[in-house]
Amino acid sequence: MKRGVRFWGKIKQHGILYLLFAPVIAYYVLVRYWPIFLAWIAAFKDLKIGSGVFSSEWVGLENFRIVFTDAELLRVIKNTFEISILRLVIGFLPPIFLAIMFHDMVLVRFRKWCQTVMYIPHFFSWVIIYGLVFAFFSTGSGFINNILEMAGMQKVDFLVSSAWFRPILIGSNLWKGLGWGTIIYMAALTAIDKQQYEAAKIDGAGPIKRIIHITFPCILPVVSFVLCINLGFILYAGGEQILMFYNSSVYDVADVIDTWVYRIGLGSMRYGVGTAVGLFQSFIGMIVVIVSNYLSKRYTGNGIW
Amino acid sequence: MRKVIQVDSEKLYQIIITSIVSILSLTMIFPLVYVLGMSLTSQPELIRRDYFVIIPEMPVLTAYKRILSSPSIWKALEISLFRSIFGTALSLFIMLIGAFVLSRKTLPGRKQFLIMILATILFNGGLIPSYYVVKQLGLINTVWAMIIPPLIDSFGLLVIKIFIENLPESLVESVKLDGASEIQQLIYIVAPLSGPALAAIGMFTVVNHWNSWFDALIYLTRKNLYPLQMVLRNMMSVEGMGNDMMNYLLKDTERVASESIKMATVVVGVLPILMLYPFLQRYFIHGIYMGSVKG
Repeated sequence: MKRGVRFWGKIKQHGILYLLFAPVIAYYVLVRYWPIFLAWIAAFKDLKIGSGVFSSEWVGLENFRIVFTDAELLRVIKNTFEISILRLVIGFLPPIFLAIMFHDMVLVRFRKWCQTVMYIPHFFSWVIIYGLVFAFFSTGSGFINNILEMAGMQKVDFLVSSAWFRPILIGSNLWKGLGWGTIIYMAALTAIDKQQYEAAKIDGAGPIKRIIHITFPCILPVVSFVLCINLGFILYAGGEQILMFYNSSVYDVADVIDTWVYRIGLGSMRYGVGTAVGLFQSFIGMIVVIVSNYLSKRYTGNGIW
Repeated sequence: MRKVIQVDSEKLYQIIITSIVSILSLTMIFPLVYVLGMSLTSQPELIRRDYFVIIPEMPVLTAYKRILSSPSIWKALEISLFRSIFGTALSLFIMLIGAFVLSRKTLPGRKQFLIMILATILFNGGLIPSYYVVKQLGLINTVWAMIIPPLIDSFGLLVIKIFIENLPESLVESVKLDGASEIQQLIYIVAPLSGPALAAIGMFTVVNHWNSWFDALIYLTRKNLYPLQMVLRNMMSVEGMGNDMMNYLLKDTERVASESIKMATVVVGVLPILMLYPFLQRYFIHGIYMGSVKG
């Protein structure tokens, strides 16, 4: 009884704070949690246009059965895994190498200028990046095709080629994020005591040895942290980028969960299946983050939480 | 003898890394130069030089005139500015309040609120339920469809909260003793001192708003609400402006190659970001840098 009184007293005492916080709660409930709730219902229903989530018919696991048996969806899930793994494997190391190079450069003013230049593409939208890709890879006026032609080779229709779609997608993503990706490592690198390098130099350690024995161990916690975060996005293959870059002639290698949900789930109104595959994506992502965070903590002592 | 070899390896290493970094920097600049050059080239020159132009001999502004004469781009610019400025202001306002409340360590329920916020970083409902909710809220085909859904960034909220928690305790305590209410503490002490965190998160929010087009694609069918990126996207798509038709009606000298129009479109999209970049550099990049050094 007394405890209850004290509890309400505390609540009252902070009344104004709760009042201030009400819009934040309203936002999270309506915009973030209500969709999650609807997703868990709609994934088990046959949702049709015109009928609401609650009034449509329950179909049990039918939507999930379609997700895991439909040939097109299986290809979409396979593409999603392939593109995001490729993206991770190819995109993970270059920012680390670049950060170490920035760190070791003796021309400090020139280095700062290069850093400034290399952060810029991060701030361009995918629409702009596609424009740049078009400028280089289109058949009519593309820079690369012009070079090929000058060298006496055949022009390549890069933008509608299934073979070239992924290299261009992943390459442009790397180009956009390369400089920006170094920032998180630069912070850890500047914290390294310079005297360690001096001591190593006196002991006769060359540049490569110093990287292996001093620089790399110092940024390892950050490396595992970044890896952990990136793994969490394993099923987010960059839908917005693909949506901007792809066209019907490359669907076989380009279509991922995000683009399929937009084009077929929303566009062709297959709401139930679209919700089910979205839920699957979100769920796998969550599991992967939790597992990789656990592994990261266990082996490097560093995690996201 | 050994020492000589060592000095050389240091020099060699510097030469290698400096050249790699220089080449990479050039690959960041060259595309922009190339696009600018193409956008300023007239159609006759493009044809004469077989569409391979880096620096035009006779720069012309016809492609820009064509783009900027389209009324949709001005309307789109207005929408983009509105969502970037007003949307960001609203976001910062609500995130500051949220962060302030969450920074009060004695507040009952604080931990539950934090878990509620963190969980949304890990899990979401996906595109279709989100679309459904925006529809239920009656936001389809309103400018609010681009402002309400991204209103609070959970990660940004936590960054501001940590920043407020690290403010010197004594400042808040001193006004508390003077009998200042929670709201007065927020307005007179916490809000002014949170400037650096708000500037960093604000820059992030502005860029996100400026670069967004997917929300317009799914939530808007009325073209007069399209933001700039969406209009640029449509121009970029094959013959988005019915260019050939327009060329047919125009005199020879006024013709514009569709390539030039696309390239000018890219420049129009890039310029605002480049103009904003010094501020981004100052508040955002520096903010992140300092934040992660501290953390």
